[in-house]
Amino acid sequence: MLSLTDISKTFPGVKALQGVSLDVQSGEIHALAGENGAGKSTLTRVIAGVHAPTEGTMSFAGQPVAWTSPRDATAAGIHVIYQEFNLFPHLSAAENIYIGHERRNALGFVDHRRTRRDAAEILKRLGVAIDPDALVNELSVADQQMVEIARALVHDVKLLILDEPTAVISGREVDLLFERLHALKRDGVAIVYISHRLEEIFAHCDRVSVLKDGRHVATRNVADIDRDTLVSLMVGRDMHELFPPRRPARAAAPVVLEAKGITVPGRVRGAGLDLRAGTITGLSGMVGSGRTELALAIFGVLPMGGGSVVVDGTSFTSMTPARAIALGIGLVTEDRKAQGLAMLLDVAANVTASTLDQVSRRGFLDRRRETAIAEAAIQSYRVACRGPSQPVALMSGGNQQKVVVARWARTSRRVLILDEPTRGVDVGAKMEIYRIMQTLADEGLAILMISSELPEIVGMSDRVVVMREGAISGVLERDEIDEAAIVTLATHRDAA
Amino acid sequence: MTDMALPSRDRARLRRMAASNAGLLVVLSLLVLMLLIGAVVSDRFRTFGNVANVFEQSTGLALVSLGQTLAVLTGGIDLAVGSLISLIICLTAGLLDGDGTYMIPVLAGMLALGAAIGLVNGLGVVYLRIHPLIVTLGMGAVLQGVTLLYALGPVGSVPDGFDALAYGTFGPLPAAAVVTVLLYVATALLLRSSRFGRYIYAVGDDGNAAKLIGLPRTQVILFVYAFSGFFAAVTAIYLVARFGSGQPYAGANYTLASITPVVVGGTMLSGGRGGVMGTLFGAYLVSLLNNLLNFLDVSTYVQLMFQGLIIILAVSLYVEKRKSIA
Amino acid sequence: MTSAIPTQGASGKTRDRDSLVRFASRNGIYLFLVALFAVCGAISPAFLRLDNLGNLLSQFAPLAIVVIGQSFVILVRGLDLSVASVMATAAVAATSFSGRDQDAVPVLALGLVIGAATGLLNGFLVTKRQVSPFLATLATMIVLQGVRFAWTHGAPSGSVPPIFRTLGAGSVDGIPYNIFALLAVAAVAIVLLHKATFGRQVYITGGNPLTARLVGIPSDRVTIICYVISGVLAAFAGLILSGFVGVVDNWVGKGFELNSIVAAVIGGVALSGGRGTLPGALAGAAILVTVFNAVLLFGLPVQFQIIIQGLVIIVATAFYARQSA
Repeated sequence: MLSLTDISKTFPGVKALQGVSLDVQSGEIHALAGENGAGKSTLTRVIAGVHAPTEGTMSFAGQPVAWTSPRDATAAGIHVIYQEFNLFPHLSAAENIYIGHERRNALGFVDHRRTRRDAAEILKRLGVAIDPDALVNELSVADQQMVEIARALVHDVKLLILDEPTAVISGREVDLLFERLHALKRDGVAIVYISHRLEEIFAHCDRVSVLKDGRHVATRNVADIDRDTLVSLMVGRDMHELFPPRRPARAAAPVVLEAKGITVPGRVRGAGLDLRAGTITGLSGMVGSGRTELALAIFGVLPMGGGSVVVDGTSFTSMTPARAIALGIGLVTEDRKAQGLAMLLDVAANVTASTLDQVSRRGFLDRRRETAIAEAAIQSYRVACRGPSQPVALMSGGNQQKVVVARWARTSRRVLILDEPTRGVDVGAKMEIYRIMQTLADEGLAILMISSELPEIVGMSDRVVVMREGAISGVLERDEIDEAAIVTLATHRDAA
Repeated sequence: MTDMALPSRDRARLRRMAASNAGLLVVLSLLVLMLLIGAVVSDRFRTFGNVANVFEQSTGLALVSLGQTLAVLTGGIDLAVGSLISLIICLTAGLLDGDGTYMIPVLAGMLALGAAIGLVNGLGVVYLRIHPLIVTLGMGAVLQGVTLLYALGPVGSVPDGFDALAYGTFGPLPAAAVVTVLLYVATALLLRSSRFGRYIYAVGDDGNAAKLIGLPRTQVILFVYAFSGFFAAVTAIYLVARFGSGQPYAGANYTLASITPVVVGGTMLSGGRGGVMGTLFGAYLVSLLNNLLNFLDVSTYVQLMFQGLIIILAVSLYVEKRKSIA
Repeated sequence: MTSAIPTQGASGKTRDRDSLVRFASRNGIYLFLVALFAVCGAISPAFLRLDNLGNLLSQFAPLAIVVIGQSFVILVRGLDLSVASVMATAAVAATSFSGRDQDAVPVLALGLVIGAATGLLNGFLVTKRQVSPFLATLATMIVLQGVRFAWTHGAPSGSVPPIFRTLGAGSVDGIPYNIFALLAVAAVAIVLLHKATFGRQVYITGGNPLTARLVGIPSDRVTIICYVISGVLAAFAGLILSGFVGVVDNWVGKGFELNSIVAAVIGGVALSGGRGTLPGALAGAAILVTVFNAVLLFGLPVQFQIIIQGLVIIVATAFYARQSA
């Protein structure tokens, strides 16, 4: 269906792809694996007509092609679900699904009623209860992802590319997604599947191609390869090295922060937890269970509708980020691009953003001190960059994430909250981040780690708190922690 | 989601309808409020003649704001309209110069010129990748300069009967104002139910996404600026029919004035939200306000101030939600 | 709105080429200014004569002062269309005093209060009421205009105290006094934006408002202060300009709102916020003033001033300040 020959793509000064040859057949699910920065998304964008290749040729459905815009590729039957959503927040779910492939009446006008009805049908087939009239900006992230997926099902697609589609959906939705993908596969659609979740590759894909540093490393049948081989093809490291060794249990550590009965209208219902010094507490639960909102309320980003946060014996019924910072709390948010970083500013400015008073003297910035702090952070967190004055926009996702962690590690004297700290980060950077968390905990910090990846929760946590439907559904201590127990607590009622 | 009962879904739908038509609701209530105030304070205000007068006087503003609305819907803005109106007023009056022989070709040429200049704006936005504010501002300056090169003072005249374009009537109603309403209704229908209309909203909502999923973003942007230029030309022809001659600064005030009805009518400057009907009522609101203040014997200077206050009031009523983290 | 952040392919650029590109993009505006001077000087020797340069400087100063304030506002993702209205209102208010030097202090104080109050209102509307900056400042512009006209009944008379006349139009050894006023303002502003902690707060607020909120920066306050700075500087520029012109009318500063935005944008201050510097913005203002001056000097009809202004806006922006989206 799709055949790439010696594709290279050069951006000013950087070779993003070098001589990649690849073919994808109709009726297969072809996994594309590789670390972040390996060239997966550049390759996707070349196939989709966003970038023209610098060298090499491409043929699609037997014809040599050279797209001039995404429009050409779309018209030929290529559909891409990008990692960043391409939804229109103020159009309805139904309209988003059919945009570009409108349901029209005999006169050629958009048939709004049919659009709504057909969209409802498709969403039902995907197993989600989304009101087709709902504006997309009212939907949860998981539902938005489902709308993105629905979009791929309403027109004649010959090649479907999905970039990390399961990053924000979980459980049943993932199962139903793969059910649809297998159905498309049976209809002869060629599918390219990009994911960091290796278990999905092994469960659902037929072949896997590995990219590393812009080059095509190997293509194998999934049946002929095991996990460790795949990982070593991607990074040249073994899987079980991923998590740092378990630390010995510590004698009853003091509680440094206690959240009591926290309520966020519509999101969190009277949730409480306590965080202990030197302890990594994992916060698990399905997407939409209120994990993120609980963290945001503790940090004062979302107003508390009830409850309190107790830090060192002092109880606060309202919180602001400034107060949280003053109390020695840090928060690494879920979406570093949208929330965490000022992309145009340099590494130094981003590292010191939450501690400006420490680098200021009588209202003036102490550049030398700031640079020294940034250099120290670059070194101890192994941030790959040109130096403190490099704008963060020009860095890879993993290194950007380290900058965010470095910033908050400086703020956090008591508590560090990390929301999905390794999302969209390659294996190497993941290991670094785990190591940093471990070190910070060893230094006595109380860490709260929110994660959708169960192996990460199990591998890193000393304790696990599980949320369901806005409330705490259970706490697992050291020996009780395993994936099955967490899943039971997270889904309990749904599973019945 | 699962426990969402039907009533609450209906309520959600209602809330959404109210939210997506917030502009219309606000501007209509302001209109009604002002009509009531007018009816109370003045007998003459209530007469049919006066209401028809308000209707008629809104025409110029409504025409230019129609084009402006589309530019704003895509997240852009057209600050060249004022100068473009001045240019076309002068050219039309100057070229006709009291002679009706070439009236049709001249008018057709002027409409084409308006659309072409708008198209150039669009090309600047798309291919030079400059903020529309800057492109159209620059174009506005160029056009004003060209207009002044053509005429430093009043120029030309229109042939006999030309003023029918502005003063003709449809029964008891001013014809130009009625035609304007029809143009608005047609545009509203096309925006809602043509593919291209939906793409205008999509491009305004997220231009990058529109491009990535293969919508004709370039064509949409070129179209809305050409559309805006075209309607600036229509406005100019209407105005020259009113004035009878050209004047090199005749359109200057329309640049910023054309934005008032758009935003008062609920179209967001950030793009993707709003619609033309709100703009039409916004134009009526401005026209009504001036009329009412005239009746109250308020000086034109203070009228200006009220216009500013109306913008603040209306816009504060449908505040955009702050971008939230959760 | 699309994000202004380049995300593609910038990761591992080879260093020399990268730094060359960076040098050009960072200094292009200054290179352009130098080239413009050279070209103007080559075409007309009169351009480089001392009296013309002095003339150039004295026209530059009021615009540059407004541009400084405008840049603060644009850096926090704003826009200030009310500056020209503030300039005229401050000047008109000044004429309500005796016009003698002993009233200089109250005149200055009243002007600055008008500027600060307008800035405060703009900032309030933008932060607390979430009105788009374009609209908020458009509305205050119109309101101020109405107030001014109602106050003067359309025909203001009188002039500012002589000391402003000296400051606006006087010179020493061919160097206009108003340049010293500009230098003082610019020095303080550059220190505030590029050396002080406040400046960093401005860049973070403009660069990513959500980050600003998370790291505890009082971004509403920072934004309001930026609008106040813009208002105060506009009022000050209005007094200087009316001193330069000699008479006060209702339109002191006409065109400054757009010219100040254009100058800032030409100078690399991005309308998307968080990017650009004051020296760049000042260079942008210098380019505009130079072009205006050259048109007159070359004996072109004054209409060309407007045409070339329009073209420079587009061309210069296309060169230096492309949206990176």
